[in-house]
Amino acid sequence: MTAPALDYADIQGTILSGYRVDLARHFILSITDAKAAGNLIGALVDGTGGLPRITTAARWTVKPECFLNISFTATGLAALGLTQAQLGTFDPAFLRGATSPTTAGIVGDVGTSQPADWIGGLANGAQVHVILNLWVDDDPAVLETIAARLRAAFAGCMAELSAHDARALPDNRVHFGYRDSIAQPTVIGAPPRKHDIPDDQPPVATGEFLLGYPNASNGIYSVQPAELSTNSSYAAFRILEQDVAGFEAFLVEYAAKAGIDAEMLAAKVCGRWRNGNPLMLAPDAPGPVLPTAQLNDFTYVNTETPDQDDTLGLKCPIGSHIRRNNPRNGAVVGTDSTHHRIVRRAMPYGPPFDPVHPHPTPAARGLIGYFINASLFNQFEFLTGQWNLLSTFVKSAKAPCGSGTGNAVFNISGEDVFLGVNDPDSTSSNPSSFTLAACGASGSDNQVLTGFSRLITTRGGAYCFLPSIKGLRYLAQLPGAPES
Amino acid sequence: MASPLTLLLPVIPGTNPQTLGATLQQVQPQLDAALTSIGTVHYARIMFLDRATPNLQPGGNPGDSYVIAVITEYDGSFDAYIGDFVAQVGTIFDALLQFVVGGAAVIPVANNVAAFGAFIALNDASQHAPNNNPFYQAYPTTTVQQILAC
Repeated sequence: MTAPALDYADIQGTILSGYRVDLARHFILSITDAKAAGNLIGALVDGTGGLPRITTAARWTVKPECFLNISFTATGLAALGLTQAQLGTFDPAFLRGATSPTTAGIVGDVGTSQPADWIGGLANGAQVHVILNLWVDDDPAVLETIAARLRAAFAGCMAELSAHDARALPDNRVHFGYRDSIAQPTVIGAPPRKHDIPDDQPPVATGEFLLGYPNASNGIYSVQPAELSTNSSYAAFRILEQDVAGFEAFLVEYAAKAGIDAEMLAAKVCGRWRNGNPLMLAPDAPGPVLPTAQLNDFTYVNTETPDQDDTLGLKCPIGSHIRRNNPRNGAVVGTDSTHHRIVRRAMPYGPPFDPVHPHPTPAARGLIGYFINASLFNQFEFLTGQWNLLSTFVKSAKAPCGSGTGNAVFNISGEDVFLGVNDPDSTSSNPSSFTLAACGASGSDNQVLTGFSRLITTRGGAYCFLPSIKGLRYLAQLPGAPES
Repeated sequence: MASPLTLLLPVIPGTNPQTLGATLQQVQPQLDAALTSIGTVHYARIMFLDRATPNLQPGGNPGDSYVIAVITEYDGSFDAYIGDFVAQVGTIFDALLQFVVGGAAVIPVANNVAAFGAFIALNDASQHAPNNNPFYQAYPTTTVQQILAC
């Protein structure tokens, strides 16, 4: 696929590049004065009035003081004055919104994750209009100074429902202890990454992440009006609380049941050791951290070199987190992983977990940020609702001659250990289950772990539209929603 | 548990059934390969019906009353996999929908995934009363891939 010439200055920066910073603040806003909100959007696009400028994907030579992006929910676009006819051209999942019961059912935001319990005003999806994202390098004072300027600017036109801070953990770790930010899709036409981690997968069509370009199905996602289409994108904003004490207890209890080391179980449920090394390259022990160039350079199926093949998930379980979320060249029903990639722009929030004092005053910690794609329906929701919550997506596949008996279909069960609902009740319709595969007909010698509980709870979310710069200028001049 | 698809698509009046048949014959190998690749479809067949004949059997003459019937049983969620279906059989549907009433509005389906999904739902008799009742299945809990793996 030929790389399109992208106008980076028209694309919000977070879509195509991670900012590699340590601090973030996400403002959840509700528009109170649409015309004034439009003026503010215009000021942010131009960086006037002492405000930071919306960050684009254009190359910079001197690292900016801060990075700023902005997104809108469907009700936010309506509040600014987009017509119902125009909104009707948007992704149906975006129009449903994150708090819709249909959405919640698809992505597993049920029980303790139900939208009604979400924090920071996010439970009432209709009032959430804008998410304004501020990132700074590592100085909290800079964050506060710029946040104060932004607050003064939006005070007259948007109500602040809440603000959510994020802070990177050392070595790009997440609270569960894993090194993160390793695997991201290579987007055709995107700026080259400074700290690229090459992988063994085909680059993904530009149209999977930006409206207006051919996607993996040779179609083009678009919306009306045209000003809002090309170079815009969608994102699921998520606040995912991680139960670290629960995870550590899970590892101890279920490693003993499986007869393996707790760190081995941690690697099996993730697909990587906590130091980031993938099981495919380090199947028996974490070992020293592999060179960056190797961390993402592997596949699961290798018919030419059977000893490097893992069709059956004997090294890296087929139900492990990284394999569910990106099966790479593993055979799945439908199409393949190239059609369902997402860009992850999430950072940890909350204090680091202290294993010596695992239960001090209740401290919320987890991941917060955007999961970016050109189709919420076919990417974020598909990934979350199908590959993370089901185990029937794996195609029948046997290992190449000599590398094990069995079939991939029988070597996965339940839901993703991290992102699944994971009902511990064995009598429920979909009880928690994780398979440690072994050679054997029809999975006869597999170990299946059951009875564990949900480890990540959704505390908030919103389906967002990330307009192009041209699109932001269009929104800035809208008259606001007509009086009802 | 498999789900049924019974897509009934009225043909644009005046369409030559020979042209339609030739198109279908041309895309059949591609369709078979795509369905194998998708891996969730148990059975699929495309039939021509003629509303002008008492027993709906097509007479082969040009007319204004033909219907294309696409009948399948498949695993999983059609809605969730609509994007994958479009990726695999989108061009085949483009070829067929040019002969179908209302089809032009969703061609090319790759650019109109949501509209194509709505079009399918609208014309799928299995989703509408009185035809949306449970149906007999000899192996209600077994998927295509599980069968292939045995």
